[in-house]
Amino acid sequence: METLILLGAKAAVAATLLIAGGAKLADISGFAATTRLFMPWRLPRLLTRCFAVGAAVTELMLGALSLSSPSVRWLNLVIFAVTLLFLAIASLGYALHRGRSCRCFGALSQRRFDARGIARSAAIAAIAAVAIPGAPTAAIRIDAPERTALAIGAIMLSLAAFTAASSIGTTRATESRLTAR
Amino acid sequence: MRIPAFLLIAQWALLLALSLLVIIMYRQLAKVFGQQQPKTDHGPPVGTKAAAIEYVGLSDDAPGYFVPGVQPTIVAFVEPSCLGCEKLVTAINTADDIGELTGLRVLLLMSDPPKYIQISDAFKSTRQEIGRIMSRATVDAYGAVATPLLIAINASGIIQAAGPVNDISGVRSFIQKCHLPVPDSMLPVISVAEASTEKSGASTRDSHPTGIRGE
Repeated sequence: METLILLGAKAAVAATLLIAGGAKLADISGFAATTRLFMPWRLPRLLTRCFAVGAAVTELMLGALSLSSPSVRWLNLVIFAVTLLFLAIASLGYALHRGRSCRCFGALSQRRFDARGIARSAAIAAIAAVAIPGAPTAAIRIDAPERTALAIGAIMLSLAAFTAASSIGTTRATESRLTAR
Repeated sequence: MRIPAFLLIAQWALLLALSLLVIIMYRQLAKVFGQQQPKTDHGPPVGTKAAAIEYVGLSDDAPGYFVPGVQPTIVAFVEPSCLGCEKLVTAINTADDIGELTGLRVLLLMSDPPKYIQISDAFKSTRQEIGRIMSRATVDAYGAVATPLLIAINASGIIQAAGPVNDISGVRSFIQKCHLPVPDSMLPVISVAEASTEKSGASTRDSHPTGIRGE
């Protein structure tokens, strides 16, 4: 049972990272605007955009690696550190930019920097913490074909998140155009 | 062959995550096309004063101006490219052929390009006045968010009926409503005191045509 919980936590955090990364890539300008909020100095637009793309791609890579290479134990620690970073950003956003859109999941959600956002980030960090010890080797030993299948599944999930986020973003823009007409 | 536990769990996680995305997409679809769309009224409210309409006559390209309150009028928002509108114009043409439009003004308003008339036999053959809408204010004033929209306005310029109609029975009912008097709710409300004062004044005036009041 303990193993199942460990593995479930690992897979859940990996899937969350994949969805968040894919959705952020679909609305990179929006996410870049959010990252600009946390820059203490004004960076050129292109640089901020590159930073946003880097953050989204890092999320995707971590999610895909965590899903397809479960035996790499140090990855659990890295992912936990990343979720702690999310928690810090959510708290900082609450303190400095309360009510602004966080775009943590691109257009998939319209969450803002608020107390519930901190609670959500804390929950994700807690789930990531559960996965840190790593499951017994027998439960996570997978061969190359299985690893490939999981990697393909990860790519599919991020692509689905990207597509969903970009179409939702488009319909929202259309909606507001119709209202303004 | 034994399947590793992680493979099973990861597959389920992927499946659940994809299902979640599908749910999010369907919710968004429902928002865009479904019940969560803000409800807009189709047609103006019955019993209200009809707004004036500025248009360009299609036959002579001359600017026209419809002022309600001169004679009973049927206004139809129709487009040659809309099948329901073609049916409505056909029904209006039939009513005209039978002579049911006598004493009524009929104004067909469209926003499609004038050459679109050629695609519809009903529009080509109609004897009714066709005008092109000039301003968005007309569409807004009549709540013409969709076509066809038929509006019955009585001789006092009050809207008696409004709605999507596309058959002869509907047109007939609208023609009848055009001849209805002003609804009671539209009549000015006078208080009892005012009424009695007015009445006594009137009787005084009646009994004293010279305007000299009795002692």
